[in-house]
Amino acid sequence: MRPCDGSPSRRGRAPVTAPALSARDVTVTAADGRLLLRLDRLDVAPGAALGVRGPSGAGKSTLLNALAGLLRPATGAIRWGGTDVAALGEAARDAFRRRFMGLIFQDFLLFEELSPLDNAAVGAAFAPRAERAAIRARAAALLDRLGVAAGARDVSRMSGGERQRIAVARALSGGPRVILADEPTASLDRANADLLIADLLALAREGGGTVIAVSHDPAVTMAMDRIVSVVDGVARDGDHAGAAVVAAPVAERARA
Amino acid sequence: MPEALNELWFALPVRGRDLAVLLAWLAPAALAGALILRGHRAGPLVAALLWRFRWSNLLFSGLIAVSVGLGVALVAQERALRQGTAKAADKFDVILAAPGDQIRMLLAAVYLQPTDAPLLRGDVLARLQADPQVDLAAPIAFGDSFDGAPVVGSTAQFVEHLSGPLAAGRLFAREDEAVAGALASVDVGDSFTPVHGHGPAASAGETHDGVTIRVVGRMAPTGSPWDRAIVVPVENVWTVHGLANGHAPSAGDRLGPPFDPDYFPGTPAFLVRADEIWKNYAIQARYDGEGVMAFFPGSVLGRLLALLGDMREMMSLMAVATQALVAAGVLAGLVALTRLFSRRFALLRALGAPRRFVFAVVWSYAAALIGAGCAMGLAFGWIAAQVVSRIVTARTDVLVAPALGFAEAHLVAAFFSLATLLALLPAFGAYRRGVVEDLRAAA
Repeated sequence: MRPCDGSPSRRGRAPVTAPALSARDVTVTAADGRLLLRLDRLDVAPGAALGVRGPSGAGKSTLLNALAGLLRPATGAIRWGGTDVAALGEAARDAFRRRFMGLIFQDFLLFEELSPLDNAAVGAAFAPRAERAAIRARAAALLDRLGVAAGARDVSRMSGGERQRIAVARALSGGPRVILADEPTASLDRANADLLIADLLALAREGGGTVIAVSHDPAVTMAMDRIVSVVDGVARDGDHAGAAVVAAPVAERARA
Repeated sequence: MPEALNELWFALPVRGRDLAVLLAWLAPAALAGALILRGHRAGPLVAALLWRFRWSNLLFSGLIAVSVGLGVALVAQERALRQGTAKAADKFDVILAAPGDQIRMLLAAVYLQPTDAPLLRGDVLARLQADPQVDLAAPIAFGDSFDGAPVVGSTAQFVEHLSGPLAAGRLFAREDEAVAGALASVDVGDSFTPVHGHGPAASAGETHDGVTIRVVGRMAPTGSPWDRAIVVPVENVWTVHGLANGHAPSAGDRLGPPFDPDYFPGTPAFLVRADEIWKNYAIQARYDGEGVMAFFPGSVLGRLLALLGDMREMMSLMAVATQALVAAGVLAGLVALTRLFSRRFALLRALGAPRRFVFAVVWSYAAALIGAGCAMGLAFGWIAAQVVSRIVTARTDVLVAPALGFAEAHLVAAFFSLATLLALLPAFGAYRRGVVEDLRAAA
């Protein structure tokens, strides 16, 4: 995980400081004006692990997409460190995601035509030349640690657990400060799901990265430091409904 | 400044100008590629996509190859035909014949196509033999055949002029001897009896019974219909038709020039040449007039090819139109393919790839298909041109030997550049798609 210095953003370059999340008065609407999500206030400290739960169609993925800068809110601010991704242009949001975020999806979304290593290191293809070798080396190391053969095996014939571990390696190979996971265990059996979450949290904590995971699976959300519920498009803190949410890193909690 | 550029341009050697034109055609694609791919490493992903969908890609490239190949074959074939017919006429400097149709006489004398022609008489022969500028005046007496091959009467000098050194045997020295063309069906030492008539008329013609001609030599290949012909002394042609043999009885067994105008039965055509080009022009001008038609076969052929040139233009236009249609079809296919790839591209964007990277992937993918199609098209065009040329050569005996040159390279380069520029369209299509919608769409 790369260090953060908290300097203000410039063209999507991060704060490079620990990107504490501070979202205020966020609404996301559909093209027809229908409200998809309302988030009054959400604060997540650097290095925290936040679970997002809620029924299907409630807006969990919309929340995650908004936090990732894939959706632009109609109102409000989503600040990662000093950078309000809601105010950035599309190119700057792309750059911000590339430099500071790792995304994991429910159904793996691997490139079937690429090897596990090429999948895990796919970010090198559009990273600055100077970073490419490091991304590839990190991807290889991650695959090794996650127990996936990096060679040219056909990823489409791999098990769901292996495929999702490749996706985890891909999310982490760029050295992100934030990992956003959308139903990361939905396609896995219990054993693989538990293993994956354990690996993900361990890797994230080693680098002090923030994890935000959307999941129906109580085992996943319970493994997080905190939970936010999304019901009918309204995101609320699991313990303090409607109040400000501040999630502290595990280490700080332990000290407290 | 434009004049200076003009001078510079024409100061370049022809190959230099061809190369410059080729580079100019490729420049738009190269420039687009350099701008689009700058700063990204799309190659491995594109290569993997190309391999994964190799059969569909092969179909796309194959379609492009067929359309490019047709254009290449057309251009190469047309040029080879033009060169082959011109080379076949190369040895025929000036043709003298009775007034009539120059094209018909060109086809008869140079390409040995069957025809009936009025004869030139002894007065023309007398003028030619007395003309100090004329270095060779050979009668060309056609009308007989053997086994489908024309049997043409002329002189040993004409054979030497046409063939150069013989490939085998010797020149004829007697009236009943012959020299065969390089591809004629008779061998040195064979004997044959000619038939009156040539082509369709031969089947109804009568055999010159009692006449036996022995082949004593074989010409080197000329790349013309004369390669199938059998050349006999013109005296033999006259004799077997019951005419005087061109010489006074006192001349005995004399063969070849000078002929005696008083015993000259006539010939459909004379090949006349001088050692210097300007003399050929003087001869043509001097003899073309009342009672004689003197013409340059090369010039008549040039007019004929110019006339056919319009046809060539039309065919080239059709080839270009075909290429454009195929390119449009392939681009439509690419648009469909990019939609199939939309989730992949959305994933790239979600992972932080800039739009420009997705644009680069789509464009590179298309450019690779187009480039492969162009390369295969060149190969296909060359093969098609070779096949057609062999058929044309077999049917006409005009040696048509197509080769790929700058004309074909220009055609393919132009197609490649235009198609890769058109490939910007599907790339723009992928560029504009919504990330979240595409991520969800196929989920």
